[in-house]
Amino acid sequence: MEKVKLLSPVGSFEALQAAIQGGTDAVYFGIEQLNMRARSSNNFTVNDLPLIKKKCASDKVKTYLTLNTIIYDHDRSLMKSILNAAKKHKIDAVIASDHSVLNYAKQLGIPVHISTQANVCNIDSVEFFSAYADTIVLARELSLRQVAEIVKQINRNGVKGPSGENVKIEVFAHGALCMAVSGKCYLSLHSDFASANRGACVQNCRRPYIVKDKESGIEFEVDNEYIMSAQDLCTIGFLDKLIKTGVAILKIEGRGRAADYVYTVTKCYREAIDAFYEGKYTQSKVEKWMDNLSSVFNRGFWGGYYLGKKLGEWTDSPGSKATKTKVYIGKGMRYFSRNKVGEFKLETNQLSLGSDLLITGPTTGVIYTTANELRVNDIPVDVVKKGELFSISVPQKIRPSDKLYKLTYSE
Amino acid sequence: MIRIIHFREKCVGCNACVEAAPFRWRISRKDGKSILINSVEKKQVFSLLTGDDELSANILAANNCPVKVIKIEKFQP
Repeated sequence: MEKVKLLSPVGSFEALQAAIQGGTDAVYFGIEQLNMRARSSNNFTVNDLPLIKKKCASDKVKTYLTLNTIIYDHDRSLMKSILNAAKKHKIDAVIASDHSVLNYAKQLGIPVHISTQANVCNIDSVEFFSAYADTIVLARELSLRQVAEIVKQINRNGVKGPSGENVKIEVFAHGALCMAVSGKCYLSLHSDFASANRGACVQNCRRPYIVKDKESGIEFEVDNEYIMSAQDLCTIGFLDKLIKTGVAILKIEGRGRAADYVYTVTKCYREAIDAFYEGKYTQSKVEKWMDNLSSVFNRGFWGGYYLGKKLGEWTDSPGSKATKTKVYIGKGMRYFSRNKVGEFKLETNQLSLGSDLLITGPTTGVIYTTANELRVNDIPVDVVKKGELFSISVPQKIRPSDKLYKLTYSE
Repeated sequence: MIRIIHFREKCVGCNACVEAAPFRWRISRKDGKSILINSVEKKQVFSLLTGDDELSANILAANNCPVKVIKIEKFQP
């Protein structure tokens, strides 16, 4: 059995570096606006493609471009110019759902992955799309048993993609879930004229609501007023079962997320996948990974629809339940590689000895470290004040483009 | 007179403004974002002075914009 591949979300160069550091096999990203994070993520431009490709090539990481919104007539010229650029820069595949994209990508000979926006839920749909794609992302609402059955039928019927090999199945393993069936939500369009299916979702489902009787005007108390906000998908506790369904690629959601999120989630799933194949996937390790995953942005976790039974689990808070929060405090200045010391400028707040720190940057990626010794003008101090330049020991090189954050913990 | 202002950088090219006021907006074939016809650019913000007869259609364009990058101001010469 071929080892399952890990696919990480990338919305910035910081996140790209973080995904590579975390040990991902492939990354996916959007350029310009024709993707599902047109509103929330700092999307790359066509001009960023050579640098993305270069960074990924040196680590043998594959690059997938998302182009999965609904396409109108007025989008066709942009869609074609994005695909032409993808072809020119040898992007490994395009993630698409609209037939116009499938058709043009096929003409250009760019491999296609069918997006979850296409809602593939059965073997007939897989066969239909196999004329265009070698990889198909299933709808997120299927159970493990249904996923396994689709993979089994692909192998039994020999459903082959354009490359002549059996179609590969990709599923979501971690990240935010939509309260609607993916690609079928019109709530944001209805309230704000902002179509979720054009990447402009305003996330109405994440807000609290009241239930009111129109006739009497009486408001009902609801146990949980976040009646539509689904908790985040997390499969690390049953990753063995998920891999045994025969899927080829596990995908992490979150192109709108920061670099530390991408790094932590990628690293946990990398370790879990490797542990599974080495026969070292244990409950105690799962607990450790869960602790790490809880430390970055999350709305609380559930197993999604994979385990069947439950219709949905709703979160009870508006934002993140991360046990660690980060506060921006300063920026990198320079690095003394001989004694592994980084100099930073504290731009706000103050920093005391023993604080846990996070450094992120487009080339640096993500570094977690602790301020075991603080020096101002080479004199050891206990507290650094706003505006001061200070140095700490950092294991890796830091750069002027890096941002420094202080981590605080909540229970 | 009214002034129409377009913060184009955040435009997602949804076509809503073109539907509301096709005489004033069109989609660029180059980058897929909308263009405020006959506007002038200053630091990536496009603006234009025009007559009150265009007000209602452009108010609709501003209200329908999913990313709220269109502003309409009254202008007293």
